[in-house]
Amino acid sequence: MSGSTFAGQGGSPLAELGQMLECSWKNIEAAWEKTLRTQELLSKIIEGKPGSETSVIVHGSVARQECTQGSDLDWTLLVDGVADASVQQTYLVVKKTLSSEAIFKDLGLKPPGREGTFGALTFSQPIMHFIGGEEDSNSNTTRRVLLLLEAQPVGIRKEAFDRVRKGVLKRYIDEDRGLLRRSHADQSVRWVPLFLLNDFARYWRTMAVDFAYKQFERGNEGYALRSIKLGVSRKLLFASGLLACFWCDPGISKNVDQESSKQGLVSCLDSFLSLTPLERLALFFVVQIKASDSQFMRDTARGLLDAYDDFLGLLNDPEKRKHLNELMPDDEEGDAVFQEARAMRRRFRLAIQDVFFGGDSPLHQHSIEKGVF
Amino acid sequence: MTLIGFSTGALSLGNFTKALSLMRGTSMTAVELSALRLPELPTLVGVAPGLHLGQFGYISFHAPSRFSAEEEDNVINLLDRLPTEWPIIVHPDTIHDPAKWARFGGRIALENMDRRKPDGRSVEELSSWFKKLPNARLCFDLAHAHQCDRTMTEAFRILLRFKDRICQLHISELDSTGHHFPLSFGSMLAFSEIASLIPKDAPAILESLNPLREATDAKQRGWIEREACRATEALGRGVATMGCPPDAGEILLSSAPLTA
Repeated sequence: MSGSTFAGQGGSPLAELGQMLECSWKNIEAAWEKTLRTQELLSKIIEGKPGSETSVIVHGSVARQECTQGSDLDWTLLVDGVADASVQQTYLVVKKTLSSEAIFKDLGLKPPGREGTFGALTFSQPIMHFIGGEEDSNSNTTRRVLLLLEAQPVGIRKEAFDRVRKGVLKRYIDEDRGLLRRSHADQSVRWVPLFLLNDFARYWRTMAVDFAYKQFERGNEGYALRSIKLGVSRKLLFASGLLACFWCDPGISKNVDQESSKQGLVSCLDSFLSLTPLERLALFFVVQIKASDSQFMRDTARGLLDAYDDFLGLLNDPEKRKHLNELMPDDEEGDAVFQEARAMRRRFRLAIQDVFFGGDSPLHQHSIEKGVF
Repeated sequence: MTLIGFSTGALSLGNFTKALSLMRGTSMTAVELSALRLPELPTLVGVAPGLHLGQFGYISFHAPSRFSAEEEDNVINLLDRLPTEWPIIVHPDTIHDPAKWARFGGRIALENMDRRKPDGRSVEELSSWFKKLPNARLCFDLAHAHQCDRTMTEAFRILLRFKDRICQLHISELDSTGHHFPLSFGSMLAFSEIASLIPKDAPAILESLNPLREATDAKQRGWIEREACRATEALGRGVATMGCPPDAGEILLSSAPLTA
């Protein structure tokens, strides 16, 4: 990896990992560059619209720095402030701006999906207050977890986003009674936030269940492409969230200055989650290789990033993307494009398994003790 | 001795004489003379040396919160006449030319800002100011930090980074539009979460707006003692066994909150 694309982002761990492994991931880099251009243009066109109590947030591939041809422009207007009906006017003007056909033509993006989760107003109170329970609807869970795992404020007004994300993180930390306490059994401190981990896991399973729901609802339309995405980019999202929880343990992050306090954990999570999902994995590899270089870690990192690079290459190929989008389940076995995609998905799955369950992985014990049961 | 007291502007807006007379006869041991509005500055600077401040073990001075670049030299010259042992509290966003303020060295205490301001709110934003004024100290405003980040994570980060620069504290409740109020249970709870990181000897200046401005002096002094007690409790600096004395039900809330 040349490092040039990521260098401007305050030294992305992806660039550092590329240098360590002497690797180049051209599709990841191309997607990153396209996303930077996209975010720059979006910032310009929404300038002056959000204020200190609203933030325009992008999700999906634009937030992951993985824009390809045909990516959705998933956005929300997050509101965190005093009750004020005039925020609807801000929403309408943002919606009009972000619905302009010229934007989709210039950026090669598609409008938000049909579920209604995006392209909408999002209020901070339900996201922060309704974690679990009857009021925590599918879309509320989705908005909250994506706010943590896959969200990027657009433009300079990101105060509302920063406040709400920290507020949500604090709730998970505050309500986790055993967090930072010593075990009666072996006196070890529990650093891993289980309340947060459980919600990430719940969301991952929700995505998997909703995959089947959409298949049922849409009569298999778009099945093959969604299937590949579920096994790669969606899985990466969950993996990076699980890693974020394990990252709170200074034994994993190698952060000797990690403060044993609620605010210390919120700060740690906020900082880690401000990276893209792929960067979170890259940072993990960089830190582990620096601490204790091993062929296992190098091979796992290379395997994971190579597979993901192929995934983005496939998504950025208009013909293959269209082909997968139209492929029916009954035709997938004999289909060359699907076989290629499936092989890539398998390489990614094996790499992820090695990250969390590999015998030489520092995450092995956490994954068994906290990641499954 | 615990150093705690009020900003004169919070007790009696624009009337420091009244504010000081209210504090006389209370147990307050610290005071901040407030010239938040520019027209107040020449008068307060003029009379400051002659004020009866013997009751206070700590005295600071709050510079105006707004002035133009053309007025900056005059503001600096006036502030320079104050006793050198008095820290001068300055909002970083009011400074037009940092080089002009360097003459004050460690007498200047930059205050972390609330979320209406575009600067001076976070560790990163404060860092850039301390690069421009390397000897400046910090007036750590808990209400501003709480308003910017309800989780107090930014407050925590500021304390980790700049604890050694802290010269005094500002304490109060602040609503989302920047108005100061007496401490609530929620703000006390939030402040107590990071209290252990605050230097125990940092003087605490309350900016809670006096809600009893129309009441008798005795009632106002009672409120002053109670509010100081609540701040002491929030800061984990000890409290009476039975807690702070309860409000006597005489609260007459003012409709004109003080803007920082």
